[in-house]
Amino acid sequence: MNAVSKAKVAMYWAGSCGGCDISLLEIGPHLLELVAAADVVFWPCAADFKYHHVASYPDGYIDLCLFNGSVRNSEQERMARLLRQKSKTLVAYGACAISGGIPALANLATPEELFARSYTDCPSVDNPGGVLPRTETESLVGELEIPHFYPQVLRLSDIVEVDYLIPGCPPQATRVWEVCQAFLGGALPARAHEQLAGCTDKSVCDECTLEKRLVKISGFRRHHEAIPEPGWCLLEQGFVCLGAATRSGCGALCTKVNMPCRGCYGPSGEARDQGAAFIGALGSLLNAELEARAGELIDQIVDPAGTFYRFTMSDGDLKGHR
Amino acid sequence: MADPIAETAAPSPDGWEPRIIAFLCYWCSYTGADNAGTARLKYPHNVHIVRLMCSGRIDPELVTTAFARGADGVMVCGCHIGDCHYISGNHKTMARMPLLRRTLEAFGIEPGRFVFEWVSAAEGEKFARLVRDTVAGVRALGPLDWPGRLRARGVGHGRDLQPWGAQP
Amino acid sequence: MNDAASGARIGVFICHCGGNISDVVDVKRVAEEVGKLPGVVLSTTHMFICSDPGQALVESVIKEHALDRVIVAACSPTLHQMTFRRAIERAGLNQFLFEHVNVREQVSWVTEDPVGATAKATRLVSAAVHRARHLVALDKRRIAIQPAALVIGGGVAGLVAARDLAQRGMKVTLVENRPFLGGRMAQLETVFPTGEKARDLLAPLIEEVVSHKLITVMTNAQVVNSEGVVGDFRTRIRVTPRGVNERLAYRGNAIAACPEETVNEFDFGLSKRKAIYMAYPGCWPPMPAIDWHTCTKCGKCVWAVGGKGIELDAEPREVEVRAGVIVLATGYDPYEPLYGEYGYGIFPRVITLQQLIRYLDPEGPTGGQLPLDGASKPRIGFIYCVGARQIEGVNQRQPDGKVKDYCARTCCTGALHAALTIKDHHPDATIYNLYQDVRTYGRGHEAYYERASESGALFLRFDPRHPPRVEKNPRGDSPVVVQVQDLLTDRLDVELPLDLLVLATGVVPHDISELVGMYRCAVGYDSFLLEVHPKLRPVELAVSGVFLAGCCQGPMDITEAAGAASAAASKAAALIAQGQVEMDPFTARVNEALCTGCQTCLGVCPYTAITRDPVKRIANVNQALCTGCGTCAAACPSKAIEQAGFTDAQVLSEVYALLADRSGAVTA
Repeated sequence: MNAVSKAKVAMYWAGSCGGCDISLLEIGPHLLELVAAADVVFWPCAADFKYHHVASYPDGYIDLCLFNGSVRNSEQERMARLLRQKSKTLVAYGACAISGGIPALANLATPEELFARSYTDCPSVDNPGGVLPRTETESLVGELEIPHFYPQVLRLSDIVEVDYLIPGCPPQATRVWEVCQAFLGGALPARAHEQLAGCTDKSVCDECTLEKRLVKISGFRRHHEAIPEPGWCLLEQGFVCLGAATRSGCGALCTKVNMPCRGCYGPSGEARDQGAAFIGALGSLLNAELEARAGELIDQIVDPAGTFYRFTMSDGDLKGHR
Repeated sequence: MADPIAETAAPSPDGWEPRIIAFLCYWCSYTGADNAGTARLKYPHNVHIVRLMCSGRIDPELVTTAFARGADGVMVCGCHIGDCHYISGNHKTMARMPLLRRTLEAFGIEPGRFVFEWVSAAEGEKFARLVRDTVAGVRALGPLDWPGRLRARGVGHGRDLQPWGAQP
Repeated sequence: MNDAASGARIGVFICHCGGNISDVVDVKRVAEEVGKLPGVVLSTTHMFICSDPGQALVESVIKEHALDRVIVAACSPTLHQMTFRRAIERAGLNQFLFEHVNVREQVSWVTEDPVGATAKATRLVSAAVHRARHLVALDKRRIAIQPAALVIGGGVAGLVAARDLAQRGMKVTLVENRPFLGGRMAQLETVFPTGEKARDLLAPLIEEVVSHKLITVMTNAQVVNSEGVVGDFRTRIRVTPRGVNERLAYRGNAIAACPEETVNEFDFGLSKRKAIYMAYPGCWPPMPAIDWHTCTKCGKCVWAVGGKGIELDAEPREVEVRAGVIVLATGYDPYEPLYGEYGYGIFPRVITLQQLIRYLDPEGPTGGQLPLDGASKPRIGFIYCVGARQIEGVNQRQPDGKVKDYCARTCCTGALHAALTIKDHHPDATIYNLYQDVRTYGRGHEAYYERASESGALFLRFDPRHPPRVEKNPRGDSPVVVQVQDLLTDRLDVELPLDLLVLATGVVPHDISELVGMYRCAVGYDSFLLEVHPKLRPVELAVSGVFLAGCCQGPMDITEAAGAASAAASKAAALIAQGQVEMDPFTARVNEALCTGCQTCLGVCPYTAITRDPVKRIANVNQALCTGCGTCAAACPSKAIEQAGFTDAQVLSEVYALLADRSGAVTA
């Protein structure tokens, strides 16, 4: 990094809820340290830069680009390509950019089903004409084009080369600040290949303080159906907690407040497919001596695919519905 | 009597042949498959056996990987409950595989493509029948081609994405 | 996933198996295709790689080409994996840098289409090449063997096996599930080829066994379950109470007092016995037993003997027997003809060979008299191959859906032996033998055929596709009449009125389905237990430490069963004498850097080999307890447990290779 000119940082939101932008704000006073050391050159949530500003930057102008959100339409893809071109270091920030996140749960349905649900079938929708969004439309100001919809939710790495991955939904502020410090201190090599940052090698169980009693699961419950016994491993109590199959870094925030881990930091250790890894673990823990009993227990798990791949649908082996 | 092999082995007109990966435990199912061979029972050539010591070693990721890499079907076979060489390795299989099956169904993988059965060392005939039935079932379902599906939807670096609706 | 040995030098050997493989699989083509893969230094074929020259070739090529990975594509690894591992070890290579591909049992023998078979074989071998690149050298583990044997079955084979093991100084437990020793042999009268009395031969053998200090005999004892592996099998045995103890003095009184009668299985239903009974005179143990299915616990026997020696309310007990090896000597059952098969069950004068032998026994149900209804010149017929050498489509299927297509081997000589015995008692009898082929194959057996021919017994040969028909005699001058087309007289239709028709019935394995499950026995199409190899390892099951003695493996006469039992005993003793068994090193190991201490694996291990290190807060696998199933590796959600020999990298590389042409360039 050039000591004379300040570093250039950018943050962009693609298919995302905005939580990732909030999580960067959440570093609080450190934000002042960040802007003191680096210029923000693009951040739609916080600063008024337009597309044409970015397009006018020379290639590699941005030192660090934090890209959050998944890619499901042509605009998101265009921004991903543009920011890759303009950035020295491109970071997939948050579960959506890394592995599809919550938006990628839509991969279990077809675009037709999604449109029907959103624009006609939903009980709160009043759309007697059955109007669906079109990419081109005539308006008072002439022909308008909105982004094209893609057949499924993609990861940032499906579109462009990604240097770092900062997992989480959203990434935890303390971890984000650690990465920012590493960047500002020059400890973050500009190019890497999808290297994890802002997390550990271990799983959430490593940070979770709930007690394992080594009992097998005798029935599944969802967290709105019962109040867990404090201090006891939620999975053993029958709440589907993905902590064992989820990499840590969050500080086990959810299980601290008796909420089962939903897996937002992605697969732990060397597992690739978080859902499959969790099935391997969960299948080892059922209190069933007979096949029929195992079947009964399994039937109590609502939406296994959506639960096990809640944040990693685009990153698992299968990545969505056929 | 109609020859079941001739029926199932007839190649499809376009030359596509089902490719099926079978994960078998060594002590029962693999020996059962050997038993089918020793008895010279005939079955189609589409099933490729991957040997593991116990069906308990069959990580669900092996199955998802096989599908993701282009298998048209996957078989998982182990010792019958109570017969496990390792006492209860197959109890884990008994829970994991139905759980995996429900998950695969959510991904649109038809039940006929994921066959999970117990085959003992003595059940060569059952194994041969299972292979015949599985191959016939997968053949009727047609190619799965998960890699092609992913490519078409832009998974992988720098693909030229086609918007939804623009595809044939 | 990194390529563990990207510079590997791999040698591939593909076996013709003398045509068993190469008749279907184009082995040269497979060798050629696989030879193109990176890292394959040499790819060749051989007629028999398991032969001495074949092994020598592998050894010399390893040295010559400095190979560091070897792949053999041949028969099933259960057969020759060890052979090849030893060969490559002799060549100085670690034996686990070896991959065995099964292209016989799982390709050439099951595939009809040679093109498909060759393609499949090529894929399987190339998968092994990919897997081989990830192999690492491993060391075998060694486990001490309990110097004791468990022999299951108290017939002649079990008795011989127990005796031979004890003579070698091994501790033996012999369990028999019936109340008396002796098995099927005790039901015979005289035996071929010596003509000695079966029970006279059995008595000294039983005496030798029961009086041997090293042998514990349990009768009325059923195997409930078995755990463990070679070296330390732990078998739970349920001993049903005999109901009678040594204090019983007046056993005749007790038996006479019993009011309950049931069919006597010892006489194949030709007689009745009481609920408290002795199997036969001179049986062992020399005291009665109570058949609890028939006994009503009325107490009359207790009263008859003055209350001493009978326990009607004894409870079954369970014991655990620890043994390093197991010998299965579970024997056979005679084939029971289906209702109506050659008139069986319809006509009382149609009986089985076993029933005839009971009739001929002077100690049998009739004191040696045949049921001839006083016929002065009795006409007696034998039909051979009943329940043996059956033909699909001709003979009726058995309840298991199969036909008994194998030769039962004992019935030809047995029937001729019985026919000659009849001739001795009834010189004026006419004997008709209706046969497909006479297979008097053993030493001295042919003499029975010759003597029968000389004695005037008539032989009529039938076409197995047109078996004889048995009908009621419409003229009433005999109980049945048999219609047969005789091939020896150019298909002359012959009608034989008979006073007695004997079905020379075959042999089926005794139902041991529970043991088959427990010891994970391989079973052949004929339902008999299957040895590892009929010539090279004829009395061993594929499950290490379990041996086969006698008719559980196939039809045998007593000579052969005793021979097999001695062989099983000597193999078992040899294993025990080694003091230890080598175990495969496919154990689980924890990657401490990845283990997060989630404890998922702790409850998974059936052998409680996994514990938690309280200091490091991670899992730890006890290598001595781990048996190498790999279940924990599949359970670990962080992939922090690897099973040696079956690592993710190794197994996945195989899967990738099998799908190489399907995957395209999609990144996982």
